[in-house]
Amino acid sequence: MIWSNFIFVLLSSTLLWLLALVLYKKELLKRLFIILGITCIGAFIVFLWIKLERPPLRTLGETRLLYAFFLPVIGMITYMRWRYNWMLFYSLGLALLFLGINYIHPENYSKTLMPALQSPWFVPHVVVYIFAYAFLAASSLVAVRGLYQHYYKSLDRKVMLMADNLVYLGFAFLSLGLLFGALWAKEAWGHYWTWDPKETWAFITWLGYLIYIHRRYHMPNVFKSSLWILALAFVILLVCWFGVNYLPSAQFSVHTYS
Amino acid sequence: MFHSYLGKAQQIDFLLHSYLGKAQQIDFLFHSYLGKVKNDIKKIEFQKSNYIRHMSIKKPIWQQPWGYAESFTILFGILCIGFGFELVLPQTPSTLVFPINIILGSCLFVLIILYHFFFRKTKIHSFLSSIPLTISLISVLGILVIIMGILPQIPSGQNGLVQQLGFNQMTSSYPFLMINLFLLIILGFVSLKKTFPFKLKNWGFIFSHWGLWIVIFAGGLGSGDLRRLKMDVYEHKMEWRSYDEQNRYYEMPLAIKLNDFQIDEFNPKLAIVENESGELYEAQKPSMIMIEKGLVCDLQTWKVKVEEFYVTSGRAGNRYYKLSDFGAAPAAKVQVISAQNDTLKGWISCGSFNRPHESLKLNDELSLVMTVPEPKRFYSDVTFMTPDGKKRDVVLEVNKPVTVNGWKIYQLSYDDKMGRYSDKSILELVRDPWQPYVYLGVFMMMIGAIYMFWKGREAKIES
Repeated sequence: MIWSNFIFVLLSSTLLWLLALVLYKKELLKRLFIILGITCIGAFIVFLWIKLERPPLRTLGETRLLYAFFLPVIGMITYMRWRYNWMLFYSLGLALLFLGINYIHPENYSKTLMPALQSPWFVPHVVVYIFAYAFLAASSLVAVRGLYQHYYKSLDRKVMLMADNLVYLGFAFLSLGLLFGALWAKEAWGHYWTWDPKETWAFITWLGYLIYIHRRYHMPNVFKSSLWILALAFVILLVCWFGVNYLPSAQFSVHTYS
Repeated sequence: MFHSYLGKAQQIDFLLHSYLGKAQQIDFLFHSYLGKVKNDIKKIEFQKSNYIRHMSIKKPIWQQPWGYAESFTILFGILCIGFGFELVLPQTPSTLVFPINIILGSCLFVLIILYHFFFRKTKIHSFLSSIPLTISLISVLGILVIIMGILPQIPSGQNGLVQQLGFNQMTSSYPFLMINLFLLIILGFVSLKKTFPFKLKNWGFIFSHWGLWIVIFAGGLGSGDLRRLKMDVYEHKMEWRSYDEQNRYYEMPLAIKLNDFQIDEFNPKLAIVENESGELYEAQKPSMIMIEKGLVCDLQTWKVKVEEFYVTSGRAGNRYYKLSDFGAAPAAKVQVISAQNDTLKGWISCGSFNRPHESLKLNDELSLVMTVPEPKRFYSDVTFMTPDGKKRDVVLEVNKPVTVNGWKIYQLSYDDKMGRYSDKSILELVRDPWQPYVYLGVFMMMIGAIYMFWKGREAKIES
């Protein structure tokens, strides 16, 4: 069914991006191949959307798919602005990793969508989150690079600058995601915030990046502690994203993805 | 005469201008020296702090200016007091209701403002609005919320340390409330500091910080005034009473008549369950497939073909027929081919409140079943009547609440045992007078977030 076509997407994106990697000095071709690879995933998402008759934003596999789409998009935008080749290919590699996970664990792409999720808030809430996660994942990659530089070479200020910028953008999206969620919940259930385990962990993530931003604002010339805060914040983000389902508190969450 | 005077006047004027020029030069030099001196001082201070850090010479605690050590110590003290309260005081902290919440809230606000304007020059005030304290406060709040995120937040019959310290109902525990109150005060000081004197370039800061302040203030104080009641309405009947969580009934300033309740359902799904436990067999995904007419699919290692399918049906003799009786359930005739090429045929049905379900035994361990259909959409066609004699016909649906007489009415649920034959619709009635203020805060925070997205961090570093 829908799933059997996925292998073509995986193969064509991999191939196109490998070509881009080989031709990484040819600016135009590189960009063309990367954009074509992203288009393949985008086309698959559109195809899925039409087939399922609902936005493909519900299951963990579907969010991974969107992640694999937006990560290279943001990698590309960042590349256009900052010209970091490594950033671009990191994002492509991560995207392929997510596509690979989806291939190994095919999800049940069921059509059912519970009435509570049939809301105009649903798409912005999740898409904004996907953006936030992609920016913050990218910032944590930068943090790892920064830590490596700090311990083995000398830290390039540009790296710190980029981490800051990515966190600012990611944090803006994260805040919007939380606030959209709160408004939606108020409209749908009459609560802003129910401290559902997913919400609780999203809030912890928000606090983690809030600490980073304040620390950077306070001590712009101290790098090591900020980099560690950033790396740790990403661990919390991962707990929020995958780990919540395995916590004892998650028995009655509305955010569990089937 | 006149000309010589003019000449002298010109001379004087010239001299004056040259002096003025020199004075300006001196002034310029002075300022540039001043700048250099300031820079030097900054450099020395930076070197000093670096030196102190590298030589690990530590400022003794409680010596001004206070930093992280003092912040964490103070917060630890607050937590200890909070946990002490939690252990000693009764476990039912009453929520504030109108008008006490307004009085206490405005007192707090006025005190924050007065303190800010009278003591803004003091060292303690600059500590209270400092970033180290902010970061410490966020961290401590984060730790409490992490505990909340790990332990289930449900009232428990046990009385262990977790319950005594309020870890299983964190949001109403004393330490959590005290930390939040402290956060509100600190956030108030920080916001006031950035707002007065007003600078236009701080608008992003002002929106995000005041927005958060308003959300915590209005959301926290307003929670006591929030009324959340349920109402059960039955088809063709009128209802004006609703009940709370303790099943106490209240008369409402409105009456609701349910004209019709409807559910649209998704088709049921095919699934394989273990005979003994009745649990879903999930050797590989996908483990459930939605039934459609003529569906052919692979379910685990079996090939399943749906030969006939009725959304509502009744059994007569050895097969099901299409039927739209009260309680008629979905049924399907399926053909199953196993990995060993054995073919099985039979009817399956998920049953309903008055019909039995039927499954197809695949082997000694497993059976093929039909799941109970999930609702796609459910809605109540209702008429509202208010004491002023007005009538209003509305369709209530999940995600589409309606406001009547100050109450927001939500479609909540129905009699799920009856499924699509439910004649009962459960509505939720919510009154939240503080909502506009919380929304104001939320929108301010959104503006702050958009500002962050737009400006990023680069400008500040490059400058």
